[in-house]
Amino acid sequence: MTVTDVPIAAPSPVLAAARRRGRGFAPVLPALALVVVVFVIPVLALLLRSVLEPEPGLQNYAAFFASTTYLKVLGNTFLVAGTVTVATVLLGFPVAWFLAIAPAFWSRLLFAIVILSMWTNLLARTYAWMVLLQRTGIINRTLMNLGLISEPLPLINNLAGVTIGMTYIMLPFMILPLHATIRSIDPAIFQAASLCGASRFQAFTRVMLPLTASGIAAGALMVFVMSLGYFITPALLGGTSNMMLAELIAQLVQSLLDWGLAGAAALVLLVITLAIYMIQLRFFGFGQARS
Amino acid sequence: MLLDFARLGPWRVALIVIALLVGAYLLLPILLIIALSFGSSQWLQFPPPGWTLRWYEDLFEDPEWIASFLTSFQIAAVVTVLSVGIGLMASFGLTRGTFRGRAALRALFLTPMILPVVVLAVALYAFFLRLHLNGTFVGFVLAHLVIALPFSIIAISNALERFDRDIETAAIVCGASPLEAKIRVTLPGIRLGLVSAAIFSFLASWDEVVIAIFMASPDLQTLPVRIFGALRQDLSPVIAAVSTLLIALTAALMALAAFFRKDARS
Repeated sequence: MTVTDVPIAAPSPVLAAARRRGRGFAPVLPALALVVVVFVIPVLALLLRSVLEPEPGLQNYAAFFASTTYLKVLGNTFLVAGTVTVATVLLGFPVAWFLAIAPAFWSRLLFAIVILSMWTNLLARTYAWMVLLQRTGIINRTLMNLGLISEPLPLINNLAGVTIGMTYIMLPFMILPLHATIRSIDPAIFQAASLCGASRFQAFTRVMLPLTASGIAAGALMVFVMSLGYFITPALLGGTSNMMLAELIAQLVQSLLDWGLAGAAALVLLVITLAIYMIQLRFFGFGQARS
Repeated sequence: MLLDFARLGPWRVALIVIALLVGAYLLLPILLIIALSFGSSQWLQFPPPGWTLRWYEDLFEDPEWIASFLTSFQIAAVVTVLSVGIGLMASFGLTRGTFRGRAALRALFLTPMILPVVVLAVALYAFFLRLHLNGTFVGFVLAHLVIALPFSIIAISNALERFDRDIETAAIVCGASPLEAKIRVTLPGIRLGLVSAAIFSFLASWDEVVIAIFMASPDLQTLPVRIFGALRQDLSPVIAAVSTLLIALTAALMALAAFFRKDARS
């Protein structure tokens, strides 16, 4: 991103530069030192290892893109992130709409539930889904008692489990920005549409969707990019045969000690992430969903 | 028409049904954990055959759970203080400084929030191996500080931008030194930003798990690392008890944040 624009040097030249540049630079120094030492240098060092280990060259990238195993991991990652994004749009849009127009009590209640779910510890929420999705878990037992299925459905240790759990975790990140978008629409627009003879369906497809398109796109990009790099939920709800990219990076470091390949996989993840943020920055402004 | 709940017609039914289902999807897992933590079934039967406080007793009698709880709390407390302090200084620089490249610098400070945390976790693990900081208190604090700082800078910068600087100038005109004016006029004026910076910094460290998994040693584990380890072994109801306590803490912090917001409005 903007890493190279920033003076990374010993304090005295930085201060000299600051004097030339204007006032008020000194208070920023502690934060700058922290971010450079504990963030910029370690990440750059990891990425450098991808072209230096075991020997200088691009063989790690060649190995990554030639291996069907790793390409499958990449495919899994895009598949899960894509499915989660579509699911959060389809579920999140009506909820955001409801929140914007429902009677105050119901809208406040649902809003509190969304916020509580978002703030609840990630591991606690993942634990709940591990309990729910087990072979002998509540969902399978209920479905069998109802006679809908005769064998337990395989809901955990596969991509289905990961998708269900991640949709749950990502939903608030879609609902909150969409809610803000829908609330900002002037209701008079729909009165106008109605006066002009538009049916509800026409008003929805030709007025509401175009007016909320940028909010949907911004939320979708945010959810997609967060899902791409997710580690905890895939590690706990997923299986060993169907990994996602973040798990692969962790495993390359922890079990295989292959730092070169881990660096290469990390760079692949970073490039995809930054490319999507660039799109978001370019077209929709920055950080709507998180701030 | 579409923004008037009473005039939605048949669409209203669809909207209510979906809102109910999604509300249940978001809420029921949380209620389930709370119920299981008081349920007497070791195998997590639902509805529970009876009620018990046994899992909480097990939890409080296990020195390892207590130790990881204290470790997490100490790390988060130190991170909160440092994050608000460093974030406050950086926010002054970013909002009032006149040097060039402020926008770029702000973007750099916020980057750790955006990048996939697993990349930072692996990178820091390698870096701290050389510095012998893995599994140390200092290592945890430094790593969590990088994660917490963006929240602090966002909250405090926003508050500083909204604060009317003329009030601070007026204090100086009335004889206060610039530092005195900042401490006695500006800081109380942006206290809401400071409180949310503290709450978000605390939660960022308290809930952080990915970096901690890599950095933890058998001797120094944070609470999320311990939960993650336990989840990989079995789904013991003790985890439900820990989770319930965490949910209670979250709800309490949310209430605190809401209280301060109300306080600021009145």
